[in-house]
Amino acid sequence: MSSLTPGSGFRPALTGALILSVVLVAIGVLVELYGQRYQIRMVYAAYVNLLVVLGLQVFMGNANITNLSHSAFMGIGAYVAAICVTPVKIKAISLPDAPWGLNTFALDPISSAVIAVVITALLALLVGLIITRLTGIGATIVSLAILVIVHSIFLHYTDIFKGKQAFFGIPRVFTLNSILVVTVIAVFVARLFRESRWGVQLRASADDEVGARAMGVDVFRVRLVAWVTGSIFLATAGICYAYFLGTISARPFYFTHVFLTVAMLILGGMRTVTGAVLGTVLISFGLEGIRFLETGPDVAGIKLPEMLGLSGIALGVIIVATMALRPSGIMGNTEVEQLFRRRRT
Amino acid sequence: MLELTHLKVFHGPIEAVHGISITVQRGQCVSLLGPNGAGKTSTISAIAGIADYQGSIRFQGADLAAISVEDRQRAGIALAPEGRRIFSNLTVKENLLIGAATRHDRRAVRSDINHWFESFPVLGERRDQSAGTLSGGEQQMLTIARALMSKPQILLLDEPSLGLAPLICQQVFRLIKELKSSGMTILLVEQNVRDALDLADYVYLLNSGHISNEGDHNVFGNDANLMAELTGIH
Amino acid sequence: MDYAIQQILNALSFGAEYALLALGLAIVFSIMGLVNFAHGEIIAAGGYSMFAISALLTGNPWVVIVGALIVAVLTSVLLERLAFRPVRYADPATGLLTAFGVSMILQNLFLLLVSPRPIAVTNLYFLNWPIEIGSVQISTLQIFETVSTAVAITVLVLFLRMSSFGIAMRAASLDFEMVRLMGIKANRVVAVAFAVSGLLAGLACIFIMARRGSVDPTFGFNPVLKAFVACVVGGFGSLGGAVLGGFLLGAIEVGMLVVLPQSYGGMKEAFVFGIVALILVWRPNGILSPPVEKGDKL
Repeated sequence: MSSLTPGSGFRPALTGALILSVVLVAIGVLVELYGQRYQIRMVYAAYVNLLVVLGLQVFMGNANITNLSHSAFMGIGAYVAAICVTPVKIKAISLPDAPWGLNTFALDPISSAVIAVVITALLALLVGLIITRLTGIGATIVSLAILVIVHSIFLHYTDIFKGKQAFFGIPRVFTLNSILVVTVIAVFVARLFRESRWGVQLRASADDEVGARAMGVDVFRVRLVAWVTGSIFLATAGICYAYFLGTISARPFYFTHVFLTVAMLILGGMRTVTGAVLGTVLISFGLEGIRFLETGPDVAGIKLPEMLGLSGIALGVIIVATMALRPSGIMGNTEVEQLFRRRRT
Repeated sequence: MLELTHLKVFHGPIEAVHGISITVQRGQCVSLLGPNGAGKTSTISAIAGIADYQGSIRFQGADLAAISVEDRQRAGIALAPEGRRIFSNLTVKENLLIGAATRHDRRAVRSDINHWFESFPVLGERRDQSAGTLSGGEQQMLTIARALMSKPQILLLDEPSLGLAPLICQQVFRLIKELKSSGMTILLVEQNVRDALDLADYVYLLNSGHISNEGDHNVFGNDANLMAELTGIH
Repeated sequence: MDYAIQQILNALSFGAEYALLALGLAIVFSIMGLVNFAHGEIIAAGGYSMFAISALLTGNPWVVIVGALIVAVLTSVLLERLAFRPVRYADPATGLLTAFGVSMILQNLFLLLVSPRPIAVTNLYFLNWPIEIGSVQISTLQIFETVSTAVAITVLVLFLRMSSFGIAMRAASLDFEMVRLMGIKANRVVAVAFAVSGLLAGLACIFIMARRGSVDPTFGFNPVLKAFVACVVGGFGSLGGAVLGGFLLGAIEVGMLVVLPQSYGGMKEAFVFGIVALILVWRPNGILSPPVEKGDKL
């Protein structure tokens, strides 16, 4: 069972999570102290994506099943929270035809978030009952189908989701500090999950499903646990997104975002939490540079042409190159604390 | 004709064969014997080009290191693999046609196929049935026939008797004997010691990746201890 | 009655398009286990080449059609050489992600080098005019589409059954290594698979173009998403399954248009994919593939 890294256990896991958290908090604090508004926004967005990538890692990384539905669950979390938290006055304008009295109440942000997480997790449980029974391409296709179904509901069930228009008026209650706290918790949870009994059993079943079953692992159950746990991360990411921006629409929860986050995970290495963090940080900052080039800036007095699509090309190249040269990502099977230990010995 | 020197074979990171040397002369039948996991199949896979190895494999004087799987076959090395690996959804005839894929003399190919159908009427009767419906023994015959369709210089036979009933086994060995007397060079991997010893001009005994003994079959036949070691019967 | 015939014809022509694309995906998958999501960009490349040919060379529709077919085949073969060869023996997930990457690169290249906006190509409208048979009004394009799909499938089946290279390709879908051990060049088998796949994509491109009349960077994405689904429903890797899945999907789609009330029209997609997910739950490996045994169930 090659993915069971030696020496994995709770104490090294806490150390590893701590190291990652320190780095993440340091980036956050630096930006808060010295950054401009758009830089704060950018880091916030990167951390939202980090939550998604961590959620993806919990299922896809441990179970080794390619999942493409994650952005849909993020969207569900975002919309549910938005519907709950938005003041009645605004909903009267934006959702005049909402069914079931959805536009007649408003809750505080925390209850809204809890409801959003619970509903997303319940939906994930329902879907998970199907998806965990499939492996390989079958599971990937069903996840793709879910993405398309959810997106198409967001787009066409306009009474609730406003379709192509933006859902506005969500109270902006989150700041960079809030998401720092959330991501630190998420890193710890993801890492502890990886080393937990479930995580170990899941990784074992990813290597050898029949073998793991023979050892008494209830493969469907551990997959389901990981799937639902992952969905909680995704819902949280959606909530953080909505609570910061104040407006959401269906578009960001579709293929572009799916590929962006998958690229982050596989570049860093989907088998480890460290890989998830590293990939997210690298791609978030790298893309920012490329987006700058895309707009056609002046560099050393030369006006560069506008190059729309450059960031998409870069992402594609990252995916193709990673798959060709290092399919297990930068980190492979190594978590951050193992790097230090290896150096010491 | 075929010369392996200090051959090490790898399965991923694991070394399965630790530096063996084997020679096969033209027209000889050489047997590679040994228990499960001794490295017999690894050795034969290395010759065919489907396993990573170090050391040298020379065929008719040329080093095969840089030669691809396909070109090794084109150079005259044919493999009848362990587990037979016939194309089960293809018909019997199509299986034989694929064996001759590198030949361009269509008429001769057709007559060779007919020849096989005559010598093995079971195959002939089922020429248009999918090969997966054949019995184990018939599939083994088809595997050997398929390998021979390319008119190879050397035939690598990997465990042809595996999983076959004794009577069918005898049939397979009769075929190998006929091939040998027709002058075909054969490298035979076997667990079925008695029959393999019977056929072989020269025998290598492989144990956990090392050659533990070698000699012609007379030497082996008279050495009671060795027979015991080989057969596991004390 | 006329209405029913019309809808059946609709389903057939939708299905034909999906079947062509699904077949292209399946032939590559059956041989090298690669789910080629970049198939859609091969179609788009065909579409852009139509524009380029009619702008630079000639507006003669037959030249445009042949040119698009050639470009689709070349693009497909080229993608294999550049992107898919390094992952040829990797697991399907690696191949799938690579294909996603390739698809992203091409879509954005079209965006960067050509335009994010749709580009009109009107040379092929002549394929699409309404005719009346009895009292049923149909479009010639539907007939062309259904007939050429039938012809393409027949030719493909003959090639795979009769020619020795076709037999080798069928063998390769069962045991690729064994085919190499027979001296048949892996590179050639794979290249031919991609060429056939590209040709089928090119054919589909012609019909999509004749209907839509314009090409944009995401031109091929949705058709291939459907084809992908058709493949899976039919049984991935099975060529018969791809055709069956394609026509089944066409039927489901037209069925949804008929059954769903107008106000739910936009939700068609959701229902189609929902049905597909249910089919997969019923038969995880698709309709035409036997249930797989993963060792003994414990």
